[in-house]
Amino acid sequence: MASELELADFLKGVEKRAFKRSLYHVRDEEAALDIVQDSMMKLAEHYADKPAGELPMLFQRILSNTTLDWFRRQKTKNALFSNFNDFEASDSGEDMDFLEFSSHTPDTQMSESAENTVSQAQNLQEIEQELKKLPARQREAFLLRYWEELDVSETAAAMGCSEGSVKTHCSRAVHALMTALKARGIHI
Amino acid sequence: MTTSPTSATNLVRAQEIYARRLVHQLDQSADQLPHAVLERLRAARVRAVASRKSYAQQTAQSFQQMGSTLAMSPNEGSSTWSKLISFLPLLALVLGLIGVHELQNDRNAHELASIDQALLLDELPPDAYTDPGFLKFLSLPSPQNTDNR
Repeated sequence: MASELELADFLKGVEKRAFKRSLYHVRDEEAALDIVQDSMMKLAEHYADKPAGELPMLFQRILSNTTLDWFRRQKTKNALFSNFNDFEASDSGEDMDFLEFSSHTPDTQMSESAENTVSQAQNLQEIEQELKKLPARQREAFLLRYWEELDVSETAAAMGCSEGSVKTHCSRAVHALMTALKARGIHI
Repeated sequence: MTTSPTSATNLVRAQEIYARRLVHQLDQSADQLPHAVLERLRAARVRAVASRKSYAQQTAQSFQQMGSTLAMSPNEGSSTWSKLISFLPLLALVLGLIGVHELQNDRNAHELASIDQALLLDELPPDAYTDPGFLKFLSLPSPQNTDNR
């Protein structure tokens, strides 16, 4: 059973990402904060007897479900269609120039300097915009797999789908982001 | 660009690398949240931890109540009346046992009395005079018969 301190530390460690993740989905700061708060409460009230090691997976699952519940409550066609039913991403050009990218991108690109701070902030905004444009399942798979650093099986469990679907969603998400960001002239 | 089967692994690896670089950017975004948002998140966290505490307390209380109910602990009723009431079932049991014992004694005494009464009041049946043993008994001199003569 997770102690009070363990629970507090865990929540402190995940709250920022949880908020951003929720914000990418619902695109409303207040709603994202409500979703994170509800998720925290559900975790504390219903899973307080679980060991600390199980908290990350439980919280990701709760956050996903709470976000889904928020969309259900909206009951608007736009919310539903734009976030849940657009899985028709084309497979054409899936493998375009990842290899080209990986061979040409210098490793030192992430280093900050006084000159590029502003442009990096702009880049960040554009990355977030493109992330929000992704289909919901692709975005969810991408964020869980790479940002929350869950493995494929854990991501599949959190999303309630197969591991193959996770791989497909992740691949399409990365491909779509790279295409869009490259079109904007952003090289990561 | 078309990927050959031999470069499939490299393609997946390249995707991973690109994804890692992207989320590194997102980490920076998460670290730059406005103060108001951070405060809201902190308040939500504190509230969640407090609810976990109250849940734990409720659970402990319910277990304690269950335990004191089963054990009839002194906490349940510290007053004299509560103690007396808690002894009522035992008192009723003792009184009941005494009552059953008395009733049983009365019944046994009544049965013995009935037998004695029947023996004392019963008349000699006529068939007894056809019994040789009884006739011989009658012919024997008894102290009462001797006295009567």
